[in-house]
Order: sequence, then C-alpha cells, then structure tokens
Amino acid sequence: MIKRPREDDLDVSHSAKRLRTSKYLDRLSVLSDELLLRTLSFLSVSELITCQRLSRRLKALAGDPQLWKALFYDRFVRPRASRIPGVRDLETSAQSLYYSSRISKWLDDDHLVKRGKATNWKRQYKLRHNWSRGSANVSETQVAEQPSIPPLLVRLHEDTVVTVDGATGIRAWSLKGDDRLIASAPLCHTGPTSLATNDTESSEHRVGISIGFEDGRFAIYTLLRQKRAFVQQYTHAASTNGAIHAIAYTSPYLLTMTGAPLLSLYRFRHDLDAADDTILAPTLISSLRSHTAYPPATLAIRASSTSVVASIAYAMPSWTVGWSVGLQELRLTGDGMIMDSRMASALNTISRMPRLSAHSPHNVGGIPLIKKPTSLSYNHPYLLSAHSDNTLTLYMVTSNAEQLSISAGNRLWGHTSSVSGAYVGERGKAVSASTLGNELRVWELEGGIPSSASRRRAAAGEASVQVHPGRRRSFIEEARLDRELEESNVTKGWIAFDEEKVVLLREKMQGTQALVVYDFS
Amino acid sequence: MSEPQILKLMSNDNVEIPVDKDVACRSILIKNMMDDIGEQALTEAIPIPNVNEAVLNKVIEWCVHHKNDPTQTNDDDADSRKKTTDIDEWDQKFMQVDQEMLFEIILAANYLDIKALLDVGCKTVANMIKGKSPEEIRKTFNIQNDFTPEEEDQIRRENEWAEDR
Repeated sequence: MIKRPREDDLDVSHSAKRLRTSKYLDRLSVLSDELLLRTLSFLSVSELITCQRLSRRLKALAGDPQLWKALFYDRFVRPRASRIPGVRDLETSAQSLYYSSRISKWLDDDHLVKRGKATNWKRQYKLRHNWSRGSANVSETQVAEQPSIPPLLVRLHEDTVVTVDGATGIRAWSLKGDDRLIASAPLCHTGPTSLATNDTESSEHRVGISIGFEDGRFAIYTLLRQKRAFVQQYTHAASTNGAIHAIAYTSPYLLTMTGAPLLSLYRFRHDLDAADDTILAPTLISSLRSHTAYPPATLAIRASSTSVVASIAYAMPSWTVGWSVGLQELRLTGDGMIMDSRMASALNTISRMPRLSAHSPHNVGGIPLIKKPTSLSYNHPYLLSAHSDNTLTLYMVTSNAEQLSISAGNRLWGHTSSVSGAYVGERGKAVSASTLGNELRVWELEGGIPSSASRRRAAAGEASVQVHPGRRRSFIEEARLDRELEESNVTKGWIAFDEEKVVLLREKMQGTQALVVYDFS
Repeated sequence: MSEPQILKLMSNDNVEIPVDKDVACRSILIKNMMDDIGEQALTEAIPIPNVNEAVLNKVIEWCVHHKNDPTQTNDDDADSRKKTTDIDEWDQKFMQVDQEMLFEIILAANYLDIKALLDVGCKTVANMIKGKSPEEIRKTFNIQNDFTPEEEDQIRRENEWAEDR
C-alpha cells in the first residue's frame, strides 16, 4: 500500500493520539452494503459527492446507479411530469410519480431506461444538471479557410457532423475524441445548396446523406464510419425547376423543395443495403406547388408503419401581425399511396383573437409586429422561429386524422441581441444562438406554453438559460476564449444538438468558418 | 378484550425479557415466527441471537412507543419512502445515544425487520453526515482514508460540477 506522505510528518504526540483513536471502530464502514445504501439514500447530491471522497468503499457505494436514478427522477422527471397536462391527473392517486417504466414511457425517457443496469445514472444526472445550468466546455474545429458560395452546409447526425461545400466537397467530423476529421471526398457536381442526413438510419457505422445542387440535381451518399469513406450511391438528373433549396431524407423517402416553391416527394425502391454501391432511381410520388411559402422553410418527413407525412414549414407574410408561419402536409399510407394534402397557418389562430392590443395575451410587452424569421425549425409538434428582434416564437402543431392546425405563437424572450438560429429537438428542448455568436441559450419548451404562468415566464425571459462557455477553465484559457468570441462575428444560423452537445457554425471576421462544440458532459 | 399475550425474548447474553405480543410483532421477523409456530411461541423464550440485553431493551422501548402506528406494508417499497431526514421529536430523543448503541440499534432493527426503526437509525446517521466536510465525517466515524492524495484530488475534480450551487 502506498504510504500517505501526510502520515510521515506527524509528530510523536499526534501519533500517540492517533493510536488511541484508532482503537475505536469505524462503525459506519462495518455496515453491510445494503444498510449503507439505505443510509445514503437519505442524502442529497452534494452530500453523496462528499461521501465519495471518504474512502474507496464509500466512493463505490455513493456512486450507486440506483441512488442517482432516484435523484435524477426527483429532480428532472417528476417536476416535468406534473407540468404535462394529463400525467398529473393520471398518477396522483398512486405512490405519486416515482420511477416506474410506465412513467418513463410517458415522458419519453425510455431511451435512458432501456439501457437498464448499464445506465450510468450519475453521469446522466450530471449531464442534465449541466444543461439546466448552461455549463459547457467549448471547443472549436475550423472547417473552412474562407466563406464559400453557395454557403457551407452542415448537419448533425448523432456524433457525426457532415459538412458540404463547393471548394472541399463532403466531409464528416467526429464529435468524440480529438481525432476530428473522419472522412472527406470530392462532390460529383458543383454548387451544393442543401443537405440532409437520413433520420431512420439505425446503424452507428453508416450515415445516409442527401445533397441537393443548384442545377436541381440531388445525390445520395453513405458515410462508412469504420472505413472512413464516403460511397456515392445515386445521382438524380438535373431539373429545370432550379436549385434545390431544402431537402429532407427519411429512407426510403426523399423530399425536395425547389424554387417557386415546388415540393417533390420521392420514394426509393428499397432501403439502402450495405452491399449496394449504387441504388435504383426513385419514383416521384407527388409534387405540389405552394404559392404562399417564403423562406426560411424547413422540410420534414415523419414515417410510421401506417402512414408517412411529408411536410414543409415556412414563413408567411401578413398585414395584421407581421410575419407568421404556415405548414403544408402531404399524407401517404404506409405503402406510399397518397391520402391527402392539407395546409394550416398560425394566422387563422391569431385572427380569431381580438385585434392586437396591449391586453392581448399573445402580444406580451406590446411589441406590435412579428419580424420575418431568420430561421425555422420543426420537430413535431414544436415549430420554432427565430427573429432579428431578439425573440423566438413557439407554435404548437396539431396533426391528426381529423385536422392540421397551428396554435397562436408565443413569443420567447431571453436573448439580448438578434437571434440567427434556433433548433428544436425531441421533448421540446431547444437551443438558439445570437447573430454575433456570443449568446447561446437552452430552452425547455416541453408541452408548449399552455398556461398564463408559463407565458409570464416566457415573457420575463425565464424560460431559458444562457450557456456559459468554459466552466472551470484557467484564467488564461478564459481570456483566450473571450478574444476568440470577439473575433468571431457571425453565426450562420445553423445550430443543432444531441443529448450531450450543442454544435454551431461560426464565421469569423477573416472569413474562416468553424464548428463550435459546446460539451455538457 | 382478552388479556394481552406476553412472550419472552432471550437476548444473546441470556436475559429473558417479557414483551407484549402486539409490541413484539412490530418486528416482522417475530411476527412471521408467530405465524409459523403459533401458540408454542408463548411457552418458550424466543432466542434473539444477534442482540444483547441493552440493545433489545432499547428496541422494545421504541416498539412500545410506536405500537399504535399503522403497520408498514411488507413489500420493500424503497421508492415511496419519504426522502426527508426529518425525524419526529420522540425518535430524535430516543436516538440520542452513543455511536455504538446507534449502530447496534440499526443492526438489530435490520435483523428483526423493523423498517420504521431502521429508517430512523439510517436517517440519524445521514444527519451526522450532512453539512460536514469529508475530513469532519472521517473524524466522526473514524473512517480510514485509503486514497492517495492524487486520487483524492482527482475525485474532487471529477465532482466539481455538483459543488457550485
């Protein structure tokens, strides 16, 4: 055993005292694991952490997954459950909301529970803790020396960031470890204008990628992570409809938006197989023209076993409230037969409200008109737009067999400068970045903003936390980071996140572009 | 109402202690034993091999005070246990004993399967941990620090995220 240096410099009298006290038993440590765990279950997070510093045995016991799971549910799951309408009424009767698998399902947390015993609940707790406080470590990877035309495109797929630009082609970057660039390949054509990754790909070794070009072509690539290579699988002919401004890809479906705007939904014959290097041309299932859609627009495909919904969310001008949002849906049966196409806009909802006045609940703060969105993000049922007037607007979408509708928008305050990008993910978690790139905020929007209390919270700027870069860094690092933040002047509007990280694209004064990763783990 | 039935418990230092049957049945161990062997338990002293006279008397004192509490369900429902370390006043006074006795009570409550008493004991220990630095806790319980200074430092750094509140 390694002798502790501290014991060496004890003087004689201390040693004597030590001998005397060591006659007393350590009665705590002779308790069984079971009894110690029972005792530790009465402690808080900070007290458990303190206990982990006592001895090897207590370090292991106080890090016990079940203890942390209970703390995780106490702090993050049960308060949320009571916020979601319906859950509260369902569960108050029984032992209230403790962690049963049923509640986990309700709250979409089964991705955590699924891992069962292997779940490191302390790590999960820490992650959520850091998210809720906005503490993250920041790192940066330069992806371009100069701005490209058309602009560099970025998408996040699990731990992989895919970038596409005319000068360097298609590249994949890893968010894990220091080895950032995974693969790189030239593009089959010039002028990439849109990019999407395949939402359904389940294998972590393969990432399906679709790219739209300015001449109306699109191409399918697959990233083979282990081989560190891209395979080009399909190229669709150029089209007279012009550049593909937006693309969505949920294998076997592909949705494109060209100028006018024209939406086209394709279906590939089968899912891409590992053995195939090329795939057959897709069939065009439907195309439809929209006359009201203005950029920014965002495409999405939701596929279940019984139906497929292809949708476009877009900005819409109006003379009464300024800019609003609209949504168009194309619904198909599971085997690709068209059911119907329908539209909704948030305007209808707003026009039913009394004329905009300072008393209108949807006009908190008396800001008269909603500015044109700088970006739009749709993750059903959340539709989030960012604005140059420092605000975001959250709309809730209802889409079922009977109807498609969009709720009135709720303004979200919190940013202190123009917002260039916002992204809403699963369970209503959202991130947004300011145009200057110096302000990143995390929002918890689960369940929308149903009550007047939550509206007040949103209006007071309390619905989000600002991310503090560089927790616990040395002063030197801090200073360097500040300088870098000043130098970097524009976020390009692209922002995305997963469970552990937020990634955004930042352009600096000299034109270099970098991926900035905020790591909350 | 019939006469309260009395049973005798035998501590491990061979002292017979008479107890009201209802009081003794706060212990799930004794209750189950009664269910199994029935009236016979009333004639012979029940040996409690892990508990000495002083501790057994203390445990019985607690059971007498709490004999009218609603009985806890048998399933070990750790989830629905109250997570607070609040202890009622009588129990707090009851637990003002030296550490040796405190831990003996915990062990006895565990052996005799008296959940409520076990929780009072564990909460009392938890309260002795609360608000103390690691060094103070080690002193309180005489815990041997078996980390190297490097390890200790590393654990502290790993857990910094939880400290700044």
